[in-house]
Amino acid sequence: MRYIFIAMKSSKRKTLLQPFLLSAKNRFFPKNKIPFRTLGVLIFSLAVCLVLYKVVVRVVTYFHSQNELGIILSLKIFQMAWITMFAMLVFSCMVSAVSTLFLSQDNEIIFAAPLAKSDIFFMRYVTTSIYTSWMMIVFSIPIFAAYGTVFKASILYWPLMLGAIISTAATATTFGMGFTVVLVNLFPAKRTKDIILYLSICFGIFIYIIFRLMRPEDLVNPDKYGHFIDYLSSLATPASPYIPAAWASNLLSYYLMDREIDILITALLVVTPLTLFFLGEWAMERWFLSGFTKSQESFGGYRSFFSRGKYKRSSLQWTFLKESKLFLRDSAEWSQLFMIAALVIVYLYNFKVLPVERSMFEEEYVTNLISFLNIGLTGFVVASLAARFVYPSIGAEGGSFYIIMSSPLSTAKYILHKYLFYVIPFTVLALILLVVSNRLLNIEGPMWWISVITGLIITWTVLAMALGFGAIYADFKAENRAAALGGIGAILFLFTAIAFEMAIIFLGGSPVYRVMRGWLRNGVMSAQDLLTLTGWILASVAISLFLALFFIRTGIRKLEASGS
Amino acid sequence: MDELNNTESNTSAGQNNTDDVLVIDSLTKKFGKFTAVDNISLEVKQGEIFGFLGPNGAGKTTTIKMIAGLLQPDNGKIFINNRSLVSEPQKCKQDTGYIPDRPYLFEKLTGFEFLQFIASLYNLEPETFSRNTAHYLKLFDLEDWQHHLIESYSHGMRQKLIISSIFMLEPPLIVVDEPMVGLDPKSARIVKELFKSHALRGTAIFLSTHSLEIAEELCDRIGIILNGSLRALGNLKDLQLAARLEHSDLEEIFLELTGAYELQDIINALRSG
Repeated sequence: MRYIFIAMKSSKRKTLLQPFLLSAKNRFFPKNKIPFRTLGVLIFSLAVCLVLYKVVVRVVTYFHSQNELGIILSLKIFQMAWITMFAMLVFSCMVSAVSTLFLSQDNEIIFAAPLAKSDIFFMRYVTTSIYTSWMMIVFSIPIFAAYGTVFKASILYWPLMLGAIISTAATATTFGMGFTVVLVNLFPAKRTKDIILYLSICFGIFIYIIFRLMRPEDLVNPDKYGHFIDYLSSLATPASPYIPAAWASNLLSYYLMDREIDILITALLVVTPLTLFFLGEWAMERWFLSGFTKSQESFGGYRSFFSRGKYKRSSLQWTFLKESKLFLRDSAEWSQLFMIAALVIVYLYNFKVLPVERSMFEEEYVTNLISFLNIGLTGFVVASLAARFVYPSIGAEGGSFYIIMSSPLSTAKYILHKYLFYVIPFTVLALILLVVSNRLLNIEGPMWWISVITGLIITWTVLAMALGFGAIYADFKAENRAAALGGIGAILFLFTAIAFEMAIIFLGGSPVYRVMRGWLRNGVMSAQDLLTLTGWILASVAISLFLALFFIRTGIRKLEASGS
Repeated sequence: MDELNNTESNTSAGQNNTDDVLVIDSLTKKFGKFTAVDNISLEVKQGEIFGFLGPNGAGKTTTIKMIAGLLQPDNGKIFINNRSLVSEPQKCKQDTGYIPDRPYLFEKLTGFEFLQFIASLYNLEPETFSRNTAHYLKLFDLEDWQHHLIESYSHGMRQKLIISSIFMLEPPLIVVDEPMVGLDPKSARIVKELFKSHALRGTAIFLSTHSLEIAEELCDRIGIILNGSLRALGNLKDLQLAARLEHSDLEEIFLELTGAYELQDIINALRSG
């Protein structure tokens, strides 16, 4: 009887996983073949893993070649990598778990079916864990493998490493799932999702700023090693025994250093995820229904807004209002502003701590060169942010896009309105990055103007390209704006934008060098140099206009052809 | 039946009757090898309610999306108020109000903000906006909810908001896909009365529905589409003749014309089972 019950349970669990497995199969292997796209993704991922592996091998080898402190430092970074991976997995699993457990669209079908809550927990656990941790696992393997190579580890290291990665990931996801079930019982699902999102963003900003303020560039400067002695002596101690991620790190560190396996830690790594899973199942039985009930009551219908503004007949004004309201009322969107603020602070801090005085060339030449290259760097930041905010802005209209397409507002005007909406904040951002970094580098004269003018040309063109690509590859079914980032269109946009920026910088190298050489030596610019510089700027404007119009027009044609 | 089709659809493009608000001429749409809409021709006059019926997957929504300017036809032409949808899309869209079957809206706007947005897209006069929004919000019991986010609205409330947004515009042509989905009986009654009163004032209404009751009650003429082709077109009497089912109601005619006459055998089998 007991065996029949177990067999029925396992067959139900198999059935529950079918939609996930079949969707994955249909997506990656339609008609039981390996399509070109899947093959491309596989080769690309393998290439990224290989590059990651090579880079980490080089960095760790560098540390090893220094002295004893280098080895300690490399192991400390090893430990930090484990803890960061663990923390990121816990946060991302919790954000996903709120969605998959409480807000998923198939919930009504699943929960109405005669299924035990433990079976539902199992299914959601497996799918959420795979969704949230596959990328982390795939890309952490080359990093930890590189340590094995540099430390010349024996063959046992590889199964130990794989087991430790899987166990740490499983611990993080079981903890995240169980904790989410309890949290949603205390707060409504949507509120919980927001809270976890803010916490994870704060955590990301914290890690980012701490890492930057540590000035890692000094670690490769042997002159400054003396300053780190005290710091490193504190690093030499093993990580806290209470953090599961530290167990994996300690287990592998001991093995790398002494070729010994700590049985207690190994046992902890095996038992913890299993224990947490059963605790999660228990929490599900105990609290799930009340949390799910709350999640359905939490639509905030009781809140009213000040929308009593006077109606004016301006589609431009209303597109602005619509875009800004949708952005500011979506916590997943506006909370990204904190991330951008942290990015800007760290970006500008980089210029403040730039060791230009150590350069073998004259300081003025170096600062002007940096200011020139900063145009490209600013362009890169603008392109990344445009990929996150501007590129998905057309697809983000979702099912409501029919409203725009069936209205008398032409597609071209709609795109122009969108462009004008985004061009203001992006121009301000680019100006802050360019003007403040020029100020920190003490840049004045022609270089200041060159950097600001070219920076703005690049910014405005990149925005147009983002909208163009966004229109060509609009995904009206994407769950949110961030989801669109993984698509082929976003990657193509980034490649094209960066190639365009590099072309502008590359073409400008010689004319800018000539003008600046004359200016720095004699304080004058020759007519011929000025002419070449003007020629470069005009050519940049022409290329920018061509690209902007080309992508926007292609996007408009694509939108009009496909409708909604 | 084919004769009926031919006589009804012989209006050639460019020589439209001035009463015709909507003229569809030889409209065809293919998705790959599948022909969703196959050479459909019809016209809808000023003040006329035209019912567009057909079984699931017959091509109703595809046709409607082409009229609303959301899909490009592979062949054929659409004229709205004697203007070609291809050459003057903005002017045609200005004259058309489209109510879809699924109420996708901007979730993070309030109902009132949504109405303002739609009005600005169609360049509606401020006086008309104030008068009509107050009227329709009250009519559909949405007054108390107008300053709440749309994400907190029920399916029926969303549908009522979309319907309000289109009636507010007072367009000469209203294209509706399944108008009563999700509406409570009171709202459904109001919508029916609105269709009738707007038609009386000259609005042309192109209405796709599964509800034969609604079609029978509201529509002046009916087109039945099957596998992408127009199977029959005319008023109830014309359809009775076409189906050779005089004195029958629309349900029997529909089942006969759409080839579902074997339904009676199924019903008998189910009853005996």
